[in-house]
Amino acid sequence: MPRLTPEQTRAILADPNFTKLAGGRARLRWVLSAVTLVMFFGFIALVASARSLLGASVPGSVIPVGLLLAFSIIVLVVVLTGVYVQRSNSQFDELARRLNREFAR
Amino acid sequence: MIRRCLTTASIALFPVAAAAQTSAASGSDRKDLVSIAMFLSIVAATVVITYRSARSARSKVGFYTAGHAVTPLQNGLALAGDFLSAAAFLGISALVYTSGFDGLLYAIGFLTGWPIVLFLMSERMRNLGSFTFSDAAAFRLDRTPIRLVAATGSLVVVLFYLVAQMIGAGKVIELLFGVNYVVAVIGVGLLMILYVTVGGMQATTWVQITKAALLLCGGTLMGIGVLWHFNFSFGELLIAASKIHPKGQAILAPGGLFAEPVSAISLGLALVFGTAGLPHILMRFFTVKDAACARKSVFYATSCVAYFCLVIPMLGFGAVSILMSDPSYFHVGASGQFNRITDLIGGPNMASIHLAHAMGGPILLGFISAVAFATILAVVAGLTLAGASAVSHDIYGQVIAKGQASDAREVLVSKIAAVAIGTVAVLLAYAFENQNVAFMAGLALSVAASCNFPVLAMAIFWRGTTTRGAVAGGLIGLISAVVLVVLSKVVWVAVFKFTAAPFPYENPALFSMPLAFLFTWMFSVTDRSARGVRERAAFDAQLIQSEIGLPQAAG
Repeated sequence: MPRLTPEQTRAILADPNFTKLAGGRARLRWVLSAVTLVMFFGFIALVASARSLLGASVPGSVIPVGLLLAFSIIVLVVVLTGVYVQRSNSQFDELARRLNREFAR
Repeated sequence: MIRRCLTTASIALFPVAAAAQTSAASGSDRKDLVSIAMFLSIVAATVVITYRSARSARSKVGFYTAGHAVTPLQNGLALAGDFLSAAAFLGISALVYTSGFDGLLYAIGFLTGWPIVLFLMSERMRNLGSFTFSDAAAFRLDRTPIRLVAATGSLVVVLFYLVAQMIGAGKVIELLFGVNYVVAVIGVGLLMILYVTVGGMQATTWVQITKAALLLCGGTLMGIGVLWHFNFSFGELLIAASKIHPKGQAILAPGGLFAEPVSAISLGLALVFGTAGLPHILMRFFTVKDAACARKSVFYATSCVAYFCLVIPMLGFGAVSILMSDPSYFHVGASGQFNRITDLIGGPNMASIHLAHAMGGPILLGFISAVAFATILAVVAGLTLAGASAVSHDIYGQVIAKGQASDAREVLVSKIAAVAIGTVAVLLAYAFENQNVAFMAGLALSVAASCNFPVLAMAIFWRGTTTRGAVAGGLIGLISAVVLVVLSKVVWVAVFKFTAAPFPYENPALFSMPLAFLFTWMFSVTDRSARGVRERAAFDAQLIQSEIGLPQAAG
């Protein structure tokens, strides 16, 4: 474990870069987690309550609505992880690197 | 109806059970030379990988983490490989084969665990820990009690998962290659012990990467084959499948799997949060260089798993439309009649394997059988390594030796632990050969979601967590998950042969997981000890470390 002195800890916590990093990352994390869980448990609720709707075909095709929704969720899961990784790569890594350089000594 | 579908679902998730019921039905006529040649070449390849990794496995960092030198893409493939076990590959396509749409729901539940692992676990794990997930849980808490709870949770998860996989492995190998069950289980046990003790994490990772690549190629090949068969029209495939399936159009709509809300939510919770508490998955975040690489590796893993979730329905529906019209894949009764689901040779879990034969003859059959075998080997090796690390790093290194053990000694303990865990798994797989073990994989996932995940999440994210709270929460999650599974139908009725189960649901997670969080909270806020005050104050340092990952001293 790195030994940060209480002064160092206070200094990092007060650093505007750190608040930006921790706050931004927390917001992204909880928002995306909520979206993921709502999507998944919402789909389960739909399966439990609207079975005939999900079994009906998409107009002009033989593919059922439920199957299309399921495939969309699979794709959306990848998109959500992609958003998190992209945002972290472009915003948070640089902030973390800067703070690391400043305080690691 | 609902009950029957749920039973089908549990059988499909745990191929063990179904295979156990149809053991050795028709093993010997599948002993193809091609299968055996491919099987031998896969074993040879893994042994070469292990031999070449031996040098790296001598140091502690090398043994546990492959020297932090795995790239994000490699680690992503290995993570996906850990996850795409034989239960996922054979089991979920079997579920699509028997129930259609419901199989896809299962796949989605499995997949949804991955974004949660990414958002909550991957980066923090890498920044706070070095070798096992207990490192992160014990960062600011008292190491002895926390590590004992976390290591117990890990070992329970690993052992149940491992035994379930081993029994499934024995049955599948018996069917695929006509080898005797006991020989098959001992063979798998010896190989996994060899990989782990000689090659450590590096061998385990590369066996997993090889298998993941083979599985993705094999799945793609079969998926393209199925679509080609139907002029690349997914609609035509669905029409053909619903025409011949005994359930008809019903396979295109939700069936009974998620119809009952309490069971549905409970199973959903276990699937989604269990992934974030599986020790062999969490351990992989230490094999990469830093938190950014850990994060990227989850993206690759999620993409691979999602891709596979799109391929699996092609295989399942393809197996329905291609196999069900061909009696040669079924046990045909004296009257010439056969049940298109239950009479499939080897049971529904063999649907993908038969589909390979139907599309590519003995060569594709041999390839897919060998891939299924590689899948089993790679997953059991990963589990054994995770269990051995919990014993050597958490219990021996940190609790018994208080962090004072030499690297060489800890690695030696780990290798001994791997041999012990492997031996126990083989013995249990032998003892439980003809038992109904459908509960084992479900129990493993529930314990992961109810013990490992809450302890870890609360320690990482909530300032107020103290050792007292985390220990109480972890123990209640572990105990309630185990007790509720024992009181549920899968054990109380199926194993103990009582008539009615006191706990009416299949999965305990809806109850045991909130209980773990509640106890952690309750025993933390009432903790007035000086240690508790210190631990809350140390949250700031932990937050800083988890965000920016200052270089750590090893230990």
